Amino acid sequence: MNDVITTHHLTKTYGPRTVVDDLELRVPQGCVYGFLGPNGSGKSTTMKMLLSLARPSRGEITLLGRPMNRETRPALLREIGSLVEAPPGYAHLTGRENMVIVQRMLGLSDRQVSRAVATVRLQEHMDKLVRAYSLGMKQRLGIAMALAREPRLLILDEPTNGLDPAGIEEIRGLLVSLAEDGVTVMVSSHLLDEIDRMASVLGILGRGRLVFQGTRAELFDRSTPDLLVDTPEPGRALALGVPAVRSERGLRLSGLGDDDTAALVRRLVGADVPVHGVRRVQQSLEEVFMDLTGREGLL
Amino acid sequence: MTLTAVNLELRKTRRLRVVLVCAVMVAAVVALTCANLMSDSARAGFDDPGAQPWESLLMSYVMVTAMTSPLLVAVLASRQVDIEHQGQGWMLSQVAGLRPGRLCRAKATVLGALLAVAVPVQTALVVMAGLAAGITVPLSPGVWVQYAVGLLLVDLALLCLHVWLAARVENQLVGMGVGLLGAFCGVFSLLMPPALARVLPWGYYAVVSPLRMGDDGFAALTPGYGWLAVFLAVVAVLFAVAGHRFDRTEA
Repeated sequence: MNDVITTHHLTKTYGPRTVVDDLELRVPQGCVYGFLGPNGSGKSTTMKMLLSLARPSRGEITLLGRPMNRETRPALLREIGSLVEAPPGYAHLTGRENMVIVQRMLGLSDRQVSRAVATVRLQEHMDKLVRAYSLGMKQRLGIAMALAREPRLLILDEPTNGLDPAGIEEIRGLLVSLAEDGVTVMVSSHLLDEIDRMASVLGILGRGRLVFQGTRAELFDRSTPDLLVDTPEPGRALALGVPAVRSERGLRLSGLGDDDTAALVRRLVGADVPVHGVRRVQQSLEEVFMDLTGREGLL
Repeated sequence: MTLTAVNLELRKTRRLRVVLVCAVMVAAVVALTCANLMSDSARAGFDDPGAQPWESLLMSYVMVTAMTSPLLVAVLASRQVDIEHQGQGWMLSQVAGLRPGRLCRAKATVLGALLAVAVPVQTALVVMAGLAAGITVPLSPGVWVQYAVGLLLVDLALLCLHVWLAARVENQLVGMGVGLLGAFCGVFSLLMPPALARVLPWGYYAVVSPLRMGDDGFAALTPGYGWLAVFLAVVAVLFAVAGHRFDRTEA
Protein backbone atom coordinates (compact mmCIF):
# COMPACT_ATOMS: atom_id res chain seq x y z
CA MET A 1 0.00 0.00 0.00
CA ASN A 2 1.38 3.43 -0.92
CA ASP A 3 1.76 6.10 1.70
CA VAL A 4 -0.12 9.28 0.88
CA ILE A 5 1.59 11.27 3.60
CA THR A 6 5.12 10.70 4.78
CA THR A 7 7.14 13.00 6.95
CA HIS A 8 10.80 12.69 7.82
CA HIS A 9 12.22 14.35 10.94
CA LEU A 10 9.37 16.87 10.82
CA THR A 11 9.98 19.39 13.57
CA LYS A 12 8.46 22.72 14.50
CA THR A 13 9.88 25.02 17.11
CA TYR A 14 8.70 28.38 18.33
CA GLY A 15 11.72 29.97 19.96
CA PRO A 16 12.98 27.51 22.56
CA ARG A 17 9.69 25.54 22.55
CA THR A 18 9.49 22.42 20.40
CA VAL A 19 5.87 21.85 19.45
CA VAL A 20 6.39 19.01 16.97
CA ASP A 21 9.43 16.86 17.45
CA ASP A 22 11.02 14.65 14.79
CA LEU A 23 7.77 13.29 13.40
CA GLU A 24 7.85 10.28 11.09
CA LEU A 25 4.29 10.00 9.83
CA ARG A 26 3.16 7.28 7.44
CA VAL A 27 -0.43 7.60 6.28
CA PRO A 28 -1.46 4.75 4.01
CA GLN A 29 -3.65 5.32 0.98
CA GLY A 30 -7.40 4.90 1.29
CA CYS A 31 -7.63 4.71 5.06
CA VAL A 32 -9.07 6.86 7.79
CA TYR A 33 -5.99 7.83 9.77
CA GLY A 34 -6.88 8.87 13.28
CA PHE A 35 -4.47 11.47 14.57
CA LEU A 36 -4.83 11.44 18.32
CA GLY A 37 -3.31 13.43 21.08
CA PRO A 38 -4.21 15.52 24.08
CA ASN A 39 -4.89 19.22 23.58
CA GLY A 40 -1.64 21.02 22.86
CA SER A 41 0.19 17.90 21.73
CA GLY A 42 0.96 19.37 18.31
CA LYS A 43 -1.79 17.89 16.12
CA SER A 44 -2.98 21.16 14.61
CA THR A 45 0.56 22.41 14.06
CA THR A 46 1.40 19.19 12.24
CA MET A 47 -1.66 19.51 10.04
CA LYS A 48 -0.84 23.14 9.30
CA MET A 49 2.65 22.12 8.23
CA LEU A 50 1.18 19.45 5.95
CA LEU A 51 -0.98 22.17 4.37
CA SER A 52 1.86 24.72 4.12
CA LEU A 53 0.09 26.99 6.58
CA ALA A 54 3.11 26.74 8.85
CA ARG A 55 6.74 26.27 7.89
CA PRO A 56 8.58 23.30 9.34
CA SER A 57 11.68 24.23 11.32
CA ARG A 58 13.25 21.01 10.10
CA GLY A 59 12.35 17.91 8.15
CA GLU A 60 10.60 16.96 4.94
CA ILE A 61 7.02 16.33 3.91
CA THR A 62 5.97 14.13 1.01
CA LEU A 63 2.34 14.24 -0.04
CA LEU A 64 0.77 12.05 -2.70
CA GLY A 65 4.23 10.88 -3.65
CA ARG A 66 5.65 14.35 -4.24
CA PRO A 67 7.81 16.41 -1.90
CA MET A 68 5.99 19.46 -0.58
CA ASN A 69 7.92 22.59 -1.50
CA ARG A 70 7.35 26.01 -3.00
CA GLU A 71 7.16 24.65 -6.55
CA THR A 72 4.89 21.68 -5.89
CA ARG A 73 2.67 23.39 -3.33
CA PRO A 74 0.01 24.90 -5.67
CA ALA A 75 -0.55 21.62 -7.53
CA LEU A 76 -0.56 19.57 -4.34
CA LEU A 77 -2.99 21.85 -2.55
CA ARG A 78 -5.45 21.40 -5.40
CA GLU A 79 -5.58 17.71 -4.57
CA ILE A 80 -5.95 18.12 -0.83
CA GLY A 81 -9.16 19.08 0.91
CA SER A 82 -8.84 20.45 4.40
CA LEU A 83 -10.64 21.80 7.39
CA VAL A 84 -8.36 23.28 10.03
CA GLU A 85 -9.56 24.80 13.30
CA ALA A 86 -13.04 26.32 12.78
CA PRO A 87 -15.10 25.57 9.66
CA PRO A 88 -14.81 28.27 6.98
CA GLY A 89 -17.81 30.15 5.65
CA TYR A 90 -18.74 33.78 5.09
CA ALA A 91 -21.66 34.39 7.46
CA HIS A 92 -23.23 37.15 5.35
CA LEU A 93 -23.47 34.90 2.30
CA THR A 94 -25.66 31.88 1.66
CA GLY A 95 -24.27 28.39 1.55
CA ARG A 96 -24.60 28.45 -2.22
CA GLU A 97 -22.75 31.78 -2.51
CA ASN A 98 -19.98 30.40 -0.33
CA MET A 99 -19.69 27.35 -2.55
CA VAL A 100 -19.56 29.59 -5.64
CA ILE A 101 -16.62 31.44 -4.08
CA VAL A 102 -14.79 28.15 -3.58
CA GLN A 103 -15.77 27.05 -7.08
CA ARG A 104 -14.34 30.20 -8.66
CA MET A 105 -11.28 30.14 -6.45
CA LEU A 106 -10.41 26.63 -7.59
CA GLY A 107 -11.93 26.66 -11.05
CA LEU A 108 -14.33 23.80 -10.28
CA SER A 109 -17.29 22.64 -12.32
CA ASP A 110 -20.94 22.88 -11.24
CA ARG A 111 -21.02 19.09 -11.09
CA GLN A 112 -18.15 18.98 -8.58
CA VAL A 113 -19.85 21.51 -6.34
CA SER A 114 -23.27 19.81 -6.53
CA ARG A 115 -21.70 16.46 -5.73
CA ALA A 116 -19.89 17.82 -2.68
CA VAL A 117 -23.05 19.48 -1.40
CA ALA A 118 -25.02 16.28 -1.95
CA THR A 119 -22.35 14.24 -0.15
CA VAL A 120 -22.77 16.29 3.02
CA ARG A 121 -26.55 16.42 2.49
CA LEU A 122 -26.78 20.19 2.64
CA GLN A 123 -28.86 20.78 -0.53
CA GLU A 124 -31.94 21.99 1.32
CA HIS A 125 -30.02 24.64 3.22
CA MET A 126 -27.97 26.13 0.41
CA ASP A 127 -30.09 29.27 0.14
CA LYS A 128 -29.92 30.10 3.82
CA LEU A 129 -27.40 32.61 5.12
CA VAL A 130 -24.49 30.85 6.79
CA ARG A 131 -25.02 32.98 9.90
CA ALA A 132 -28.29 31.08 10.34
CA TYR A 133 -26.58 27.69 10.14
CA SER A 134 -26.17 25.46 13.16
CA LEU A 135 -22.61 24.44 14.04
CA GLY A 136 -23.23 21.05 12.46
CA MET A 137 -24.36 22.66 9.22
CA LYS A 138 -21.29 24.90 9.24
CA GLN A 139 -19.07 21.86 9.69
CA ARG A 140 -20.83 20.14 6.81
CA LEU A 141 -20.42 23.22 4.63
CA GLY A 142 -16.72 23.29 5.53
CA ILE A 143 -16.41 19.64 4.57
CA ALA A 144 -18.29 20.30 1.32
CA MET A 145 -15.79 23.07 0.54
CA ALA A 146 -12.98 20.60 1.19
CA LEU A 147 -14.62 17.88 -0.88
CA ALA A 148 -15.59 20.02 -3.86
CA ARG A 149 -12.16 19.71 -5.45
CA GLU A 150 -12.56 15.91 -5.32
CA PRO A 151 -9.42 15.53 -3.25
CA ARG A 152 -7.30 12.43 -3.01
CA LEU A 153 -6.43 13.42 0.52
CA LEU A 154 -8.62 15.03 3.15
CA ILE A 155 -7.02 16.62 6.22
CA LEU A 156 -9.54 17.44 8.92
CA ASP A 157 -8.65 18.97 12.25
CA GLU A 158 -11.22 18.04 14.89
CA PRO A 159 -14.16 18.09 12.44
CA THR A 160 -16.66 16.99 15.06
CA ASN A 161 -15.81 19.70 17.59
CA GLY A 162 -18.95 21.06 19.15
CA LEU A 163 -21.30 18.67 17.37
CA ASP A 164 -24.08 16.78 19.08
CA PRO A 165 -23.96 12.96 19.06
CA ALA A 166 -26.13 12.74 15.94
CA GLY A 167 -23.86 15.20 14.14
CA ILE A 168 -20.76 13.29 15.20
CA GLU A 169 -22.26 10.04 13.95
CA GLU A 170 -23.13 11.67 10.65
CA ILE A 171 -19.62 13.04 10.09
CA ARG A 172 -18.12 9.73 11.14
CA GLY A 173 -20.25 7.84 8.61
CA LEU A 174 -19.35 10.34 5.92
CA LEU A 175 -15.60 10.00 6.50
CA VAL A 176 -15.74 6.20 6.51
CA SER A 177 -17.70 6.20 3.25
CA LEU A 178 -15.18 8.60 1.69
CA ALA A 179 -12.35 6.26 2.63
CA GLU A 180 -14.30 3.41 1.08
CA ASP A 181 -14.40 5.47 -2.11
CA GLY A 182 -10.61 5.70 -2.07
CA VAL A 183 -10.09 9.09 -0.43
CA THR A 184 -7.42 9.07 2.25
CA VAL A 185 -8.75 10.83 5.34
CA MET A 186 -6.49 12.12 8.06
CA VAL A 187 -8.62 13.24 10.97
CA SER A 188 -7.45 14.59 14.28
CA SER A 189 -9.21 14.52 17.58
CA HIS A 190 -8.57 14.51 21.27
CA LEU A 191 -11.64 12.27 21.67
CA LEU A 192 -10.46 8.72 21.61
CA ASP A 193 -13.85 7.08 21.28
CA GLU A 194 -14.67 9.14 18.23
CA ILE A 195 -11.48 8.16 16.43
CA ASP A 196 -11.65 4.55 17.55
CA ARG A 197 -14.95 4.11 15.76
CA MET A 198 -13.80 5.33 12.38
CA ALA A 199 -10.03 5.07 12.01
CA SER A 200 -8.29 2.00 10.65
CA VAL A 201 -4.84 3.40 11.39
CA LEU A 202 -3.91 5.45 14.44
CA GLY A 203 -1.16 7.94 15.06
CA ILE A 204 -0.79 9.05 18.66
CA LEU A 205 1.01 12.23 19.53
CA GLY A 206 2.25 13.10 22.99
CA ARG A 207 4.17 16.30 23.72
CA GLY A 208 4.92 16.72 20.04
CA ARG A 209 6.34 13.24 19.55
CA LEU A 210 4.73 10.35 17.76
CA VAL A 211 4.37 7.74 20.48
CA PHE A 212 2.52 5.20 18.38
CA GLN A 213 1.57 4.63 14.77
CA GLY A 214 -0.21 1.58 13.45
CA THR A 215 -3.47 -0.32 13.56
CA ARG A 216 -5.65 -0.75 16.61
CA ALA A 217 -4.55 -4.38 16.89
CA GLU A 218 -0.88 -3.34 16.81
CA LEU A 219 -1.58 -0.82 19.52
CA PHE A 220 -2.98 -3.51 21.80
CA ASP A 221 -0.09 -5.81 20.94
CA ARG A 222 2.23 -3.18 22.31
CA SER A 223 0.35 -2.76 25.52
CA THR A 224 0.73 -5.07 28.49
CA PRO A 225 -2.66 -6.23 29.79
CA ASP A 226 -3.32 -5.58 33.46
CA LEU A 227 -3.03 -8.46 35.91
CA LEU A 228 -5.90 -9.37 38.26
CA VAL A 229 -4.94 -11.34 41.35
CA ASP A 230 -7.90 -12.94 43.14
CA THR A 231 -7.17 -12.99 46.83
CA PRO A 232 -9.39 -12.61 49.89
CA GLU A 233 -6.54 -10.81 51.70
CA PRO A 234 -5.39 -7.95 49.48
CA GLY A 235 -4.26 -5.94 52.52
CA ARG A 236 -1.54 -8.48 53.32
CA ALA A 237 -0.31 -8.38 49.76
CA LEU A 238 -0.18 -4.59 49.79
CA ALA A 239 1.71 -4.73 53.09
CA LEU A 240 4.42 -6.67 51.23
CA GLY A 241 4.91 -3.62 49.03
CA VAL A 242 3.24 -5.06 45.93
CA PRO A 243 2.61 -2.13 43.51
CA ALA A 244 -1.08 -2.79 43.08
CA VAL A 245 -4.47 -1.24 43.64
CA ARG A 246 -7.42 -2.98 45.23
CA SER A 247 -9.95 -4.45 42.85
CA GLU A 248 -13.33 -6.12 43.35
CA ARG A 249 -11.86 -9.54 44.00
CA GLY A 250 -8.37 -8.69 45.11
CA LEU A 251 -5.64 -6.65 43.38
CA ARG A 252 -4.99 -5.09 40.00
CA LEU A 253 -1.47 -4.51 38.69
CA SER A 254 -0.38 -2.66 35.55
CA GLY A 255 2.57 -3.16 33.25
CA LEU A 256 3.69 -6.49 34.64
CA GLY A 257 5.44 -8.82 32.16
CA ASP A 258 5.35 -12.62 32.31
CA ASP A 259 8.54 -13.01 34.37
CA ASP A 260 7.44 -10.35 36.82
CA THR A 261 4.07 -12.07 37.13
CA ALA A 262 5.73 -15.37 38.00
CA ALA A 263 7.94 -13.62 40.57
CA LEU A 264 4.90 -11.91 42.10
CA VAL A 265 3.01 -15.17 42.48
CA ARG A 266 6.06 -16.84 44.08
CA ARG A 267 6.37 -13.94 46.50
CA LEU A 268 2.70 -13.98 47.51
CA VAL A 269 2.62 -17.75 47.96
CA GLY A 270 5.89 -17.62 49.90
CA ALA A 271 4.33 -15.10 52.28
CA ASP A 272 1.23 -17.29 52.74
CA VAL A 273 -1.07 -14.87 50.99
CA PRO A 274 -3.91 -16.97 49.56
CA VAL A 275 -3.97 -16.70 45.75
CA HIS A 276 -7.21 -18.05 44.28
CA GLY A 277 -6.45 -17.09 40.72
CA VAL A 278 -4.35 -14.91 38.42
CA ARG A 279 -5.61 -13.63 35.05
CA ARG A 280 -4.91 -11.00 32.48
CA VAL A 281 -7.44 -8.33 31.61
CA GLN A 282 -7.21 -6.30 28.43
CA GLN A 283 -6.73 -2.56 28.95
CA SER A 284 -9.24 -0.28 27.33
CA LEU A 285 -8.05 1.78 24.39
CA GLU A 286 -8.31 4.79 26.60
CA GLU A 287 -5.98 3.27 29.17
CA VAL A 288 -3.46 2.38 26.45
CA PHE A 289 -3.69 5.89 25.12
CA MET A 290 -3.24 7.42 28.55
CA ASP A 291 -0.18 5.26 29.18
CA LEU A 292 1.33 6.28 25.85
CA THR A 293 0.72 9.98 26.30
CA GLY A 294 1.91 10.02 29.89
CA ARG A 295 -1.63 10.61 31.20
CA GLU A 296 -1.40 14.25 30.23
CA GLY A 297 -4.76 14.64 28.58
CA LEU A 298 -8.29 13.94 29.60
CA LEU A 299 -10.31 12.24 26.92
CA MET B 1 -5.19 34.74 -10.16
CA THR B 2 -5.29 38.45 -9.26
CA LEU B 3 -8.31 38.99 -11.51
CA THR B 4 -9.97 35.98 -9.92
CA ALA B 5 -9.24 37.38 -6.48
CA VAL B 6 -10.81 40.71 -7.44
CA ASN B 7 -13.89 38.95 -8.84
CA LEU B 8 -14.21 36.96 -5.64
CA GLU B 9 -13.98 40.13 -3.58
CA LEU B 10 -16.78 41.63 -5.64
CA ARG B 11 -18.90 38.59 -4.84
CA LYS B 12 -18.10 38.94 -1.16
CA THR B 13 -19.31 42.55 -1.09
CA ARG B 14 -22.87 41.22 -1.44
CA ARG B 15 -24.90 42.15 1.65
CA LEU B 16 -21.90 43.92 3.17
CA ARG B 17 -23.61 47.20 2.27
CA VAL B 18 -20.34 48.88 1.34
CA VAL B 19 -22.08 50.66 -1.54
CA LEU B 20 -24.79 51.85 0.85
CA VAL B 21 -22.20 53.03 3.37
CA CYS B 22 -20.44 54.90 0.59
CA ALA B 23 -23.68 56.43 -0.68
CA VAL B 24 -24.70 57.58 2.81
CA MET B 25 -21.27 59.11 3.35
CA VAL B 26 -21.40 60.88 -0.03
CA ALA B 27 -24.85 62.27 0.83
CA ALA B 28 -23.58 63.41 4.23
CA VAL B 29 -20.55 65.11 2.68
CA VAL B 30 -22.72 66.91 0.13
CA ALA B 31 -25.22 67.96 2.80
CA LEU B 32 -22.56 69.24 5.21
CA THR B 33 -20.65 71.03 2.47
CA CYS B 34 -23.72 72.70 1.03
CA ALA B 35 -25.42 73.59 4.31
CA ASN B 36 -24.00 77.10 4.14
CA LEU B 37 -25.46 77.66 0.68
CA MET B 38 -28.85 78.19 2.29
CA SER B 39 -27.78 81.11 4.47
CA ASP B 40 -28.83 84.60 3.41
CA SER B 41 -25.31 85.96 3.77
CA ALA B 42 -23.94 83.36 1.39
CA ARG B 43 -26.77 83.79 -1.09
CA ALA B 44 -26.12 87.52 -1.19
CA GLY B 45 -22.70 86.90 -2.72
CA PHE B 46 -23.71 84.32 -5.33
CA ASP B 47 -23.34 86.82 -8.17
CA ASP B 48 -20.39 88.72 -6.72
CA PRO B 49 -16.91 87.42 -7.72
CA GLY B 50 -15.47 89.36 -4.78
CA ALA B 51 -17.49 87.25 -2.36
CA GLN B 52 -15.73 84.15 -3.76
CA PRO B 53 -18.79 81.85 -3.53
CA TRP B 54 -17.10 78.92 -5.35
CA GLU B 55 -13.95 79.24 -3.30
CA SER B 56 -16.05 79.28 -0.13
CA LEU B 57 -17.88 76.16 -1.25
CA LEU B 58 -14.64 74.40 -2.19
CA MET B 59 -13.02 75.28 1.15
CA SER B 60 -16.06 73.93 2.90
CA TYR B 61 -15.74 70.75 0.80
CA VAL B 62 -12.05 70.44 1.71
CA MET B 63 -12.84 70.66 5.43
CA VAL B 64 -15.75 68.24 5.32
CA THR B 65 -13.85 65.64 3.28
CA ALA B 66 -10.79 65.93 5.53
CA MET B 67 -13.10 65.03 8.40
CA THR B 68 -15.21 62.31 6.78
CA SER B 69 -12.82 60.55 4.39
CA PRO B 70 -10.66 58.89 7.10
CA LEU B 71 -13.84 57.50 8.64
CA LEU B 72 -15.16 56.27 5.30
CA VAL B 73 -11.98 54.39 4.38
CA ALA B 74 -11.77 52.89 7.88
CA VAL B 75 -15.37 51.64 7.70
CA LEU B 76 -15.00 50.24 4.18
CA ALA B 77 -11.72 48.45 4.97
CA SER B 78 -13.08 47.09 8.21
CA ARG B 79 -16.24 45.68 6.62
CA GLN B 80 -14.41 44.06 3.73
CA VAL B 81 -11.62 42.55 5.82
CA ASP B 82 -13.48 41.49 8.94
CA ILE B 83 -15.36 38.82 6.96
CA GLU B 84 -12.06 36.98 6.52
CA HIS B 85 -11.45 36.93 10.27
CA GLN B 86 -15.00 35.85 11.02
CA GLY B 87 -15.28 33.24 8.30
CA GLN B 88 -11.81 31.66 8.43
CA GLY B 89 -11.37 33.19 4.99
CA TRP B 90 -7.61 33.64 5.29
CA MET B 91 -7.13 29.92 5.72
CA LEU B 92 -9.74 29.00 3.12
CA SER B 93 -7.92 31.18 0.59
CA GLN B 94 -4.47 29.99 1.58
CA VAL B 95 -5.27 26.33 1.06
CA ALA B 96 -6.65 27.31 -2.34
CA GLY B 97 -3.33 28.96 -3.18
CA LEU B 98 -4.50 32.54 -2.65
CA ARG B 99 -2.07 34.10 -0.22
CA PRO B 100 -3.21 36.78 2.28
CA GLY B 101 -1.18 39.57 0.71
CA ARG B 102 -2.89 39.06 -2.61
CA LEU B 103 -6.24 38.90 -0.88
CA CYS B 104 -5.52 42.31 0.68
CA ARG B 105 -4.54 43.75 -2.68
CA ALA B 106 -7.78 42.45 -4.17
CA LYS B 107 -9.75 44.04 -1.36
CA ALA B 108 -7.96 47.36 -1.82
CA THR B 109 -8.67 47.18 -5.56
CA VAL B 110 -12.40 46.61 -5.13
CA LEU B 111 -12.81 49.28 -2.46
CA GLY B 112 -10.56 51.63 -4.39
CA ALA B 113 -12.81 51.24 -7.44
CA LEU B 114 -15.78 52.15 -5.26
CA LEU B 115 -13.99 55.27 -4.04
CA ALA B 116 -13.00 56.10 -7.61
CA VAL B 117 -16.70 56.36 -8.38
CA ALA B 118 -17.77 57.95 -5.10
CA VAL B 119 -15.28 60.85 -5.05
CA PRO B 120 -16.08 62.24 -8.54
CA VAL B 121 -19.82 61.77 -7.95
CA GLN B 122 -19.56 63.52 -4.59
CA THR B 123 -17.58 66.39 -6.11
CA ALA B 124 -20.00 66.72 -9.00
CA LEU B 125 -22.96 66.77 -6.60
CA VAL B 126 -21.39 69.59 -4.58
CA VAL B 127 -20.81 71.63 -7.73
CA MET B 128 -24.33 70.92 -8.96
CA ALA B 129 -25.70 71.95 -5.58
CA GLY B 130 -23.81 75.23 -5.91
CA LEU B 131 -25.26 75.81 -9.37
CA ALA B 132 -28.74 74.82 -8.22
CA ALA B 133 -28.50 77.18 -5.26
CA GLY B 134 -27.92 80.01 -7.71
CA ILE B 135 -24.20 80.75 -7.82
CA THR B 136 -23.79 82.70 -11.03
CA VAL B 137 -20.12 83.60 -10.69
CA PRO B 138 -18.23 81.63 -13.37
CA LEU B 139 -16.93 78.26 -12.18
CA SER B 140 -13.30 77.19 -12.60
CA PRO B 141 -13.77 73.45 -13.04
CA GLY B 142 -10.02 72.79 -13.16
CA VAL B 143 -9.49 73.50 -9.50
CA TRP B 144 -12.38 71.18 -8.52
CA VAL B 145 -11.05 68.39 -10.72
CA GLN B 146 -7.59 68.95 -9.31
CA TYR B 147 -8.86 68.65 -5.76
CA ALA B 148 -11.04 65.62 -6.54
CA VAL B 149 -8.05 63.78 -8.01
CA GLY B 150 -5.87 64.69 -5.03
CA LEU B 151 -8.60 63.65 -2.61
CA LEU B 152 -9.05 60.32 -4.36
CA LEU B 153 -5.32 59.59 -4.28
CA VAL B 154 -5.07 60.33 -0.55
CA ASP B 155 -8.18 58.22 0.06
CA LEU B 156 -6.63 55.32 -1.85
CA ALA B 157 -3.38 55.56 0.08
CA LEU B 158 -5.19 55.60 3.41
CA LEU B 159 -7.42 52.76 2.23
CA CYS B 160 -4.35 50.59 1.69
CA LEU B 161 -3.13 51.38 5.21
CA HIS B 162 -6.53 50.58 6.68
CA VAL B 163 -6.88 47.31 4.74
CA TRP B 164 -3.52 46.25 6.11
CA LEU B 165 -4.45 47.34 9.65
CA ALA B 166 -7.82 45.56 9.50
CA ALA B 167 -6.11 42.41 8.28
CA ARG B 168 -3.42 42.38 10.95
CA VAL B 169 -5.52 43.48 13.92
CA GLU B 170 -8.55 41.28 14.31
CA ASN B 171 -10.39 43.70 16.60
CA GLN B 172 -11.91 46.12 14.13
CA LEU B 173 -12.49 48.73 16.83
CA VAL B 174 -8.77 49.47 16.53
CA GLY B 175 -9.12 50.36 12.86
CA MET B 176 -12.22 52.42 13.57
CA GLY B 177 -10.40 54.21 16.37
CA VAL B 178 -7.55 55.03 14.02
CA GLY B 179 -10.10 56.30 11.49
CA LEU B 180 -11.64 58.55 14.13
CA LEU B 181 -8.24 59.86 15.10
CA GLY B 182 -7.57 60.43 11.41
CA ALA B 183 -10.74 62.50 11.11
CA PHE B 184 -9.49 64.86 13.82
CA CYS B 185 -6.02 64.97 12.34
CA GLY B 186 -7.47 65.57 8.86
CA VAL B 187 -9.38 68.64 9.96
CA PHE B 188 -6.66 70.03 12.16
CA SER B 189 -4.03 69.48 9.50
CA LEU B 190 -5.72 72.31 7.56
CA LEU B 191 -4.62 74.60 10.37
CA MET B 192 -1.18 73.07 10.85
CA PRO B 193 2.05 74.35 9.36
CA PRO B 194 2.51 72.46 6.05
CA ALA B 195 5.72 70.80 7.30
CA LEU B 196 3.81 69.24 10.19
CA ALA B 197 0.85 68.21 8.03
CA ARG B 198 3.18 66.31 5.71
CA VAL B 199 4.34 64.14 8.58
CA LEU B 200 0.88 62.73 9.20
CA PRO B 201 -0.87 60.46 6.70
CA TRP B 202 -4.10 62.42 7.20
CA GLY B 203 -2.21 65.67 6.77
CA TYR B 204 -2.23 65.00 3.04
CA TYR B 205 -5.86 66.11 2.93
CA ALA B 206 -4.39 69.52 3.62
CA VAL B 207 -1.47 68.99 1.22
CA VAL B 208 -3.88 68.50 -1.72
CA SER B 209 -6.00 71.52 -0.81
CA PRO B 210 -5.98 74.08 -3.64
CA LEU B 211 -6.99 76.92 -1.34
CA ARG B 212 -5.96 78.48 1.89
CA MET B 213 -7.59 80.97 4.16
CA GLY B 214 -5.87 84.33 3.80
CA ASP B 215 -6.39 87.66 5.47
CA ASP B 216 -8.38 88.83 2.45
CA GLY B 217 -10.43 85.74 1.93
CA PHE B 218 -9.46 82.61 0.09
CA ALA B 219 -6.18 82.47 -1.76
CA ALA B 220 -5.14 79.95 -4.38
CA LEU B 221 -2.55 77.48 -3.22
CA THR B 222 -0.45 75.15 -5.29
CA PRO B 223 -1.01 71.72 -3.80
CA GLY B 224 2.14 69.89 -2.73
CA TYR B 225 2.13 67.40 -5.59
CA GLY B 226 5.75 66.50 -5.04
CA TRP B 227 5.08 65.61 -1.41
CA LEU B 228 1.93 63.80 -2.44
CA ALA B 229 3.93 61.73 -4.93
CA VAL B 230 6.45 60.85 -2.22
CA PHE B 231 3.63 59.93 0.18
CA LEU B 232 1.94 57.71 -2.41
CA ALA B 233 5.22 56.03 -3.26
CA VAL B 234 5.99 55.37 0.40
CA VAL B 235 2.51 53.92 0.98
CA ALA B 236 2.79 51.78 -2.16
CA VAL B 237 6.13 50.37 -1.01
CA LEU B 238 4.88 49.81 2.54
CA PHE B 239 1.74 48.07 1.27
CA ALA B 240 3.77 45.85 -1.04
CA VAL B 241 6.27 44.94 1.69
CA ALA B 242 3.49 44.38 4.24
CA GLY B 243 1.65 42.15 1.75
CA HIS B 244 4.80 40.15 1.12
CA ARG B 245 5.38 39.73 4.84
CA PHE B 246 1.73 38.82 5.32
CA ASP B 247 2.13 36.08 2.72
CA ARG B 248 4.86 34.59 4.84
CA THR B 249 2.85 34.75 8.06
CA GLU B 250 2.01 31.37 9.52
CA ALA B 251 -1.56 30.45 10.31
